[in-house]
Amino acid sequence: MNNKLKVLRAMRNWSQAELADRLDVSRQAVNAIETGKYDPSLPLAFKLARLFDMPIEEIFDYGEGLDHGN
Amino acid sequence: MAKDLTMATEPKEPRAPNMIMPVFIGFCTAMLAGGIAGYNQTAINSGDPALAPWVGPVAAIAFGVAAITLYIRSHADYFRRWSPRKRLYWASIFGAGLLGMVSAITLQASGGDLYSNAALTPTVAIALSVLWVVGLAISLVVYHRSVDDHERQAYHLGALWGFYAFVFPCPVWWVLHRAGLAPPIDAMILFVASLVVNALVYLWFKFR
Repeated sequence: MNNKLKVLRAMRNWSQAELADRLDVSRQAVNAIETGKYDPSLPLAFKLARLFDMPIEEIFDYGEGLDHGN
Repeated sequence: MAKDLTMATEPKEPRAPNMIMPVFIGFCTAMLAGGIAGYNQTAINSGDPALAPWVGPVAAIAFGVAAITLYIRSHADYFRRWSPRKRLYWASIFGAGLLGMVSAITLQASGGDLYSNAALTPTVAIALSVLWVVGLAISLVVYHRSVDDHERQAYHLGALWGFYAFVFPCPVWWVLHRAGLAPPIDAMILFVASLVVNALVYLWFKFR
């Protein structure tokens, strides 16, 4: 799954550690989400959406994957 | 000035304390326990009076706890910024580490060799069993209450592969032994193999 976390973080000039502190997760969690190695749980995705004040689907893009599930 | 949205250079973060120091303290604690055990063994072998068996473990653990306390106090400003979840998480890791170190030092002081199957006194065996079950249960409760999503996934995958590292070889070894093709099953080898696989998979998913 693609996401805009790095760009959203850059717009606020936050480090990974700073974003991790705001989400109360580890820095490794932020790094793993940003690099696409880990898809966050729904509660964490909502937490991100609230923090950046935008809908989840504007942060995360499932791409073509949704079509394959139909 | 336009923001660098590529994040080619990460924003500067407050300098974290050197994490080598806690590892070094753990190493020194183990060396101190080993040194006192070695001194005692040499004294016994040469017929000289040895220190009481509890002196080594107590001195080593007291040193380790005092050194870690000093380390935390010297970086109090940094640790004060930690969230309650992060403090709980590291407390559970420290608790589990302390538990392992106390068990290892006590085993070494009682049986001479950490990995031997030599007889233990009932007092040491019961104390270690209670310490292991109660200490591990408390550490795990604290750990599970404090982990984040990403860590939980790494932990679950590590646990799953650790389970496979037991489930695959154990029956194979058992049937081979029954056919006289292998020595009797050694539970500790399976236990250690399972823990090693568990740790490797956990570390891979946590830090890759």
